[in-house]
Amino acid sequence: MTDLLAYPLVPVASEADAEATLRALLPRLDAGATIVVCHVIEKAGGGVDKAGVEQREDRAREIFDHVEAHCRTADVSVETRIDYGTDVADTVFEAAADIDASAVAFTPREGSRWLQFLTGDTARDLVTENDRPVVVLPDRSRGTASTDEAES
Amino acid sequence: MSDEELAKDLGPLAALTIGVGTMIGAGIFVLPGQAAGEAGPVIAISFIVGGVISLFTALSASELGTAMPKAGGSYYYVNHALGPLFGSIAGMGNWIGLAFASAFYMLGFGDFLVDIVGVPGVDLFGFSLSSIQIAALVAGAVFVAVNYVGAKETGRLQNIIVITLVAILTAVTVIGFFSADLSTLRPFAPAETGGYGAILPGTALIFVSYLGFAKITTVAEEIKNPGRNLPLAIVGSVVIVTIMYAIIMVVLMSVENWKTLATIPSPVVHVAEISFGNLLGLAWLGGGLIVFAGLLATASSANASILASSRINFAMGRDKLITAKLNEIHPKFATPYRSIVVTGAFILAFIAYGNVEVLAKAGSVLHLVVYGLMNLGLIVMREADPEEYDPDFTVPFYPLTPILGALLSFGLITQMKPEEIQLSLVFIAVGLGWYLFYARTRADKQGILGQYILSRRDDMPKAAVSAADSVAPDGGDYRVMVPLANPKHEKDLITLASALAKQNDGTVIATHIVTVPDQTTLEHARDNVDALDGTNDDLLEAAREDAETFGVDVETHTIISHRAFEEVFDAARTYNADVCVMGWGPHSHGRAESRVDELTSEVPCDFLVLKDRGFDPDHLLVPTAGGPDSDLSAAVARDLREEYDSTVELLYVRDDDESRDDAGEFLANWAVDHDLKDAEFTIEDGDVEEAIERRARDATMLLVGATERGLINRLLGGTLVMDVVDDVDCSVLLAEKKRRRSLKERLLGSE
Repeated sequence: MTDLLAYPLVPVASEADAEATLRALLPRLDAGATIVVCHVIEKAGGGVDKAGVEQREDRAREIFDHVEAHCRTADVSVETRIDYGTDVADTVFEAAADIDASAVAFTPREGSRWLQFLTGDTARDLVTENDRPVVVLPDRSRGTASTDEAES
Repeated sequence: MSDEELAKDLGPLAALTIGVGTMIGAGIFVLPGQAAGEAGPVIAISFIVGGVISLFTALSASELGTAMPKAGGSYYYVNHALGPLFGSIAGMGNWIGLAFASAFYMLGFGDFLVDIVGVPGVDLFGFSLSSIQIAALVAGAVFVAVNYVGAKETGRLQNIIVITLVAILTAVTVIGFFSADLSTLRPFAPAETGGYGAILPGTALIFVSYLGFAKITTVAEEIKNPGRNLPLAIVGSVVIVTIMYAIIMVVLMSVENWKTLATIPSPVVHVAEISFGNLLGLAWLGGGLIVFAGLLATASSANASILASSRINFAMGRDKLITAKLNEIHPKFATPYRSIVVTGAFILAFIAYGNVEVLAKAGSVLHLVVYGLMNLGLIVMREADPEEYDPDFTVPFYPLTPILGALLSFGLITQMKPEEIQLSLVFIAVGLGWYLFYARTRADKQGILGQYILSRRDDMPKAAVSAADSVAPDGGDYRVMVPLANPKHEKDLITLASALAKQNDGTVIATHIVTVPDQTTLEHARDNVDALDGTNDDLLEAAREDAETFGVDVETHTIISHRAFEEVFDAARTYNADVCVMGWGPHSHGRAESRVDELTSEVPCDFLVLKDRGFDPDHLLVPTAGGPDSDLSAAVARDLREEYDSTVELLYVRDDDESRDDAGEFLANWAVDHDLKDAEFTIEDGDVEEAIERRARDATMLLVGATERGLINRLLGGTLVMDVVDDVDCSVLLAEKKRRRSLKERLLGSE
């Protein structure tokens, strides 16, 4: 089987999300590997967005600063990209197709049902509406350390 | 499609509906009763006058918007053209103006809501809230909450809302025509409201209906092909709404006498019931449609205002006029949640205040101030004509259009009542005070106007130059004090200080502290400085020359004192130093040893103490374990890297029980937080001191932060830092940050 993590696309939503994801992902990569980290700016598609685009682009760059520093300490090369779309999951898979990623790797984030209903359940969309392999990484900060430790 | 195009997803229809959607909410559904009472049928002319006034500003906004399609809209243009003083006024005015308008919209929403559901009024300790206010407060809180979590909204929904609204209003108007009796309109300008003289006060009242077009500019960055679509949307929405307003007002007042409209609750519902009842026998349908449309319209107006105000906050934060903390994005919802909460709090407070008319007019006054400034800003941009100013759309009949736009905007304010103007002035004053006392030392972006005046100092009137000088943002004068003692280290200390001053646009203050025996009076010493210390003039002169090679401002001071070391602290306070750079060695200020206990461990400003073994900033080693003092060494490393292109190596020594990954994570985060992400990262283990010594062999300078106990004590205490200093061969810069504990900072939790 080819290595799913050979050239993964890693969507990150926030600094905390990026850290949780990289904490799970980086130890599983070979030294010298390359990953592509993307941040999706959700657009309303004709309406007024919930936050300004420039504001969210600034934030994406802040997240990428962290990502780049973390990857450098782990000796992993990283490319970053900002993608724009009305549906986060669709946009992630478009980005994955664009770079021909080996898989999409992410850490699901928590959120109550009603909030997910209101704001959209991106994690579910990522695992159910995909057209390429999806690697769901464990979130070590969520107290599942024993199983996680055992495999890494 | 390129990313650039994807980020811009507002087409011409979407941009138009933002403007129309925001404007249609106010005038028609909330104000017609008061408006009819204010002027009678001639209020239709008031609406047209309002539209014309808006049109001038709309043209100016279009030109500025196509030249600078940036988030923040009107605020951004004013700040860019007129500078941060007026920027603060415009930003504050625009922000609070939107909050006033939102409160006004929500009260309108509450008014329609109580038509459908029963809401009780509340009387708490003599503070009473009507049922409309209660409904408005609840609805307002819901809107704030929805924007906080950022409900998924689609452009289609907005288009549907606006098209529905226009359809309903058109239906009511057309059906109303059949019940219209033109004789009801007579006298057109009734004497009891002041005849034609009531037109302008009427415009003042209803101007809140025209605040929507400026909101289009706050999302200018997201509009496709802004050169064409922005002017189309702004001017188009003003024209469409003006025509609709005028026609609807005429129909309303020809169906029902204006005196009746002015006194009954929900006059539009009443008119719709009459005309639907007369023509179709469906009075309930007419009333129901209007209630539905009223809820939709006021809700969409309020929503658009909340979204627009968070963009103004963002733009102000980017220009450092407000704290960046307000603009943090929620990690989960990706919304500017803090800005939304603060704006929401203003809105709820204004709802509790409750006077619809005052809120509407105060919102208008603040917007009119912004509009006036925006027109002036356009004139400044045209006259100064900076290279990057290249609008796709230009106003016709320049300079007449912006001049009239400014005059009419400021002029309409005079038609308001004193109470409404005063309420707005409070916030203008807050904006002004905010700039002068908070933002001026932080903002670093100067307006085109200030640049224009100051670059032509000689040709400009003196008063203009000095005014521009005194309000120019100074970004805070960064004052680097250097107490000099040993001529041998003068050059290195001044070089270091000048590099820091240069990077921070600051000033070097070279001081020479001449100590005299207690027997000698200070007056006597002052008259005989040269006799007491022959090196004084030479030392300060050398310092001045060395600093001037960096092109930084220099001040020199001679201080006569009985004390040496303590005087450094006093001088740092006297000369308002931000940072003090001093040498450290056997002959520097060594006479302090015996008096250590007298010294406070709190330093009066940031302190950098150089163990000088030659100034070579080629390879800087910065060990860190976190903490405020390493913040200072990081800042110095950044400045030196900027000045000398230094290699910066960050060193973290991990604990035995800490994994390499965790250590890497700590260092990576620390580096990013301190703007040093491109530095070299080194992680060592074992003894801290030995690790630092090992790495210091390749370094030319070691930048080390003091720890909690106070630098002075460390210097003399033989602790960790002390040993390292002696055991390495390179120069060592010891950093101790001033602990700031002012009330303000405790409250705001900064630093």
